[in-house]
Amino acid sequence: MKGVTWILRIASLATFAYMAYLVYSILNPNDIWHWNAPYEFVVTVFRLLSLLVFFIATTMVSGLAGAFTGGAVPQDVIVGLYNTLVLRTWYMQPYGLADPLTNVQEVWTSFQMNLNNVLLALWNNTFLFLYFLCAGVGIVLFLQSLANMNHKFVGGAFISIQAIIILAAFRTLIVPDITPFPADFIEFFWKQAQILALVSFAYLEVSYQMIYSASVGKPVEEREETLKKQLLALRQATRKQDAIERGEKVSTTGMSRSTGATAFSFLREAMERKVMGGQSALESLDAISDVRRLQIYVDELLQSDSRARDELTAKAAAPSSSYVIGSTITGSAIRFLTVVAVSFMLMNPNFIQMVLNLPIGIQNSVELIQPEIVVLFLVPVVGVFPMTAAIISWFSRREVVEKEELTKEEKEEAKRRKKERALKKKEAEKARKARAKARRERKGDEVEVDEWDKALDDAFKR
Amino acid sequence: MITQRGFVIVFAGVLLLTSGFSFTNFYLVLLGVYCVIGLVVTLPLFALTANLAGIEVDRQIDKVKLFSGDFLRVRVTIRNVSRRHFDFIEVHDQYPETWILAIGENFMASRIEPGSSMTFSYILQARMRGRYYLGPTEVIMRDRLGLHYYKRVLKEHTEVLVYPTWKDVRRLESFAKQRQLGLMFGAHRTKTVGMGTDFAGFREYVPGDEFRLIDWKTSAKRGDMVIKQWEQEKNVQIICMVDTSGSMGNGYPENTKLEYAIRAAVLLTYMGLERKDLVGTCVFSDIVHGYVPPGTRPTHMYDVLEVLAMAEPQGWSDYETAISHVVNQTKKRSLIIWLTDLERSPAPLLNAMKTLVANGHKSLIISPFGPWFEAPVGQFGPVEKVLSEAVSEELWERRNKIARALSRFGINVINVGPEDFLPTIMQSYEQAKQRGVAMF
Repeated sequence: MKGVTWILRIASLATFAYMAYLVYSILNPNDIWHWNAPYEFVVTVFRLLSLLVFFIATTMVSGLAGAFTGGAVPQDVIVGLYNTLVLRTWYMQPYGLADPLTNVQEVWTSFQMNLNNVLLALWNNTFLFLYFLCAGVGIVLFLQSLANMNHKFVGGAFISIQAIIILAAFRTLIVPDITPFPADFIEFFWKQAQILALVSFAYLEVSYQMIYSASVGKPVEEREETLKKQLLALRQATRKQDAIERGEKVSTTGMSRSTGATAFSFLREAMERKVMGGQSALESLDAISDVRRLQIYVDELLQSDSRARDELTAKAAAPSSSYVIGSTITGSAIRFLTVVAVSFMLMNPNFIQMVLNLPIGIQNSVELIQPEIVVLFLVPVVGVFPMTAAIISWFSRREVVEKEELTKEEKEEAKRRKKERALKKKEAEKARKARAKARRERKGDEVEVDEWDKALDDAFKR
Repeated sequence: MITQRGFVIVFAGVLLLTSGFSFTNFYLVLLGVYCVIGLVVTLPLFALTANLAGIEVDRQIDKVKLFSGDFLRVRVTIRNVSRRHFDFIEVHDQYPETWILAIGENFMASRIEPGSSMTFSYILQARMRGRYYLGPTEVIMRDRLGLHYYKRVLKEHTEVLVYPTWKDVRRLESFAKQRQLGLMFGAHRTKTVGMGTDFAGFREYVPGDEFRLIDWKTSAKRGDMVIKQWEQEKNVQIICMVDTSGSMGNGYPENTKLEYAIRAAVLLTYMGLERKDLVGTCVFSDIVHGYVPPGTRPTHMYDVLEVLAMAEPQGWSDYETAISHVVNQTKKRSLIIWLTDLERSPAPLLNAMKTLVANGHKSLIISPFGPWFEAPVGQFGPVEKVLSEAVSEELWERRNKIARALSRFGINVINVGPEDFLPTIMQSYEQAKQRGVAMF
């Protein structure tokens, strides 16, 4: 299965690369891919922050100086203190200044004069920065998905790349679009925006298939690997104990992580009981005994049952690679065709007109060429599929009502136990009452105190 | 049911659709529609194929009764009896929480063809005695892309009875081996003179003694007839009364007073059987849960183990009911060893002892002292520490009074903690043998 996963990994890489390229090329006419955009954004933010620091610093400096001198402070004192304390230490040059500060007011004047430009630059830079950020996050998540085979990374990479287009659409830049929506399927199919949408969907499909391929073969492979490590760790632990008993020095009594001890909680626990100290010697003996007995048990099992190893690794459960490849191709092709065809029908205004037989006024209405029209059919069509699934499930009686099935003997045994217990309780209660009655009667007759009662009284009186 | 990754698609679809509507962009709408349709389009097909009723799970185990600490292999076979394949099936076989997964995994995920089966196994270690159930088995079926799933829980369970631990016996055997090898000395013999094999001494001949007992060599040396005497080997009859009232269950799960009492009972039975003594066991709380009369049948040990395995800390201690049950069924003089924490009022205990002594039995109480089995005082804060010490003192004083009252009638109370519980029972047994208590 590893081979299939690698093929699908390459397919995922190809679709992602093509999707990213299409997004890059379609947005390129907007002239947004300035490679220094992130740097400019960071510098702008930094300088605005420096303005904030300037404001706080000058206020504090003038306040402190005012407090010490007891009146108005000369400008040059504040300027001097600011240049010495702040600029020399952190070099937080406020926005609008290039050299050391000579006059506090000039910073504010400069900022007020350029306020609109500054904010506009920041606004533009923010979006330029966000395109790069989304692209960067998308690539990182994509690489993560290849390594970790986690659907969250796949979904994250997909959304990140599409987010670039969403942001660009928000800024009303040139983005992929299909306006007006074609009535002809062939024309629709070869539209660049449609191809981008299809490639993006293909990326999701191929990546999910890749995760399936990995997850269907991985448990068996991992089981085998884990078992190997467990048996190796067990063997090493037994040898180590033998060496300790012989009085030989062992380098380390802890388990190495590379030998798979992390996956082997039983052995780790046993070793900790032995190694960590502080426990009684008997517990250490138990731990040694447990490990050794497990070793003997496993050895006997593997010798007596030839299938034992295969069952522990579940080797027979591994699916065949050829089937997975074949079914991936056919399954994906069918899904693509269905999705594209159904989506075209949902979005095609001619189809809507044909099905709904709309009056001429509405047919000529501008609403029909708005994207929201898709909701008209999308919601019911989307609802049809789960409903069909529910009906099929109902017919095929998938929801088997599970009952705790007890055999006749088990039921009888449970009944017998219950009955026996009730009888015992009843008898005990009866005996208790009889004893209490006898005791009461005896107490009435006897004047002399029983020696047992006397002993108890004596003991508790002291 | 939609899976987590299905919800990622839903989120992406809704985000793209709303963005497309907001910015009047057909590309975004189209991609949103692709996502939403892509999510649901295969659902009917999945529903058609994913008939989980076609999955059968069979669990097999090597043995249904085992000792605590023993290993057990569990084999799980999953069969697809339907005519359709399952693209992705996950099977989780559950085992009791207190058990440890020693080797392998109790989980399997794969694809399964129609009519085929897959088997996986794993090895568990049973940690605590009792009746346990393996299962249920959870079967989850996912579609190819993992967007939807169906789950079914197969409630078939496999019952396993876990006997109390055998480790104390193993330990005892290893000591016995050391003794055989001459590494340990200290034979415990009865001082009663009789028909044994070990030499006890000489005494003068009295008329009526058998001639074969005269030691002619020594008689010749002494000039008077002497009889050679041998130590008599006699057996004792012991009944171990295990209190399973609720208070005996206090403490850490594997270190409760009850667990120690059970281990002590197992050890005592084993030692008794080894020396051909008769050892019975009674498990009681407010009723008698089980009673195995003293015996030497080959299955005696297993009978005792079974009764002890089922013991659960519940109810209160009714000593009188327990002793009347035992006394009614025991005709021979016996040494009755109580393993109880004495946390009930003393009057019923004394009444029980009265019955016991009146019937000619001897008794001994080995009593686990609660605070020694529960949280160590070192783990407490100052307030809890003071409180726990006060409670301990109160309890200690109370049991001293009970002990004083019982000592008047020759019944000893031995207070034990986790460390000396088992040595005490061994010592008591040896002393009983030496003194010849309850011999038959």
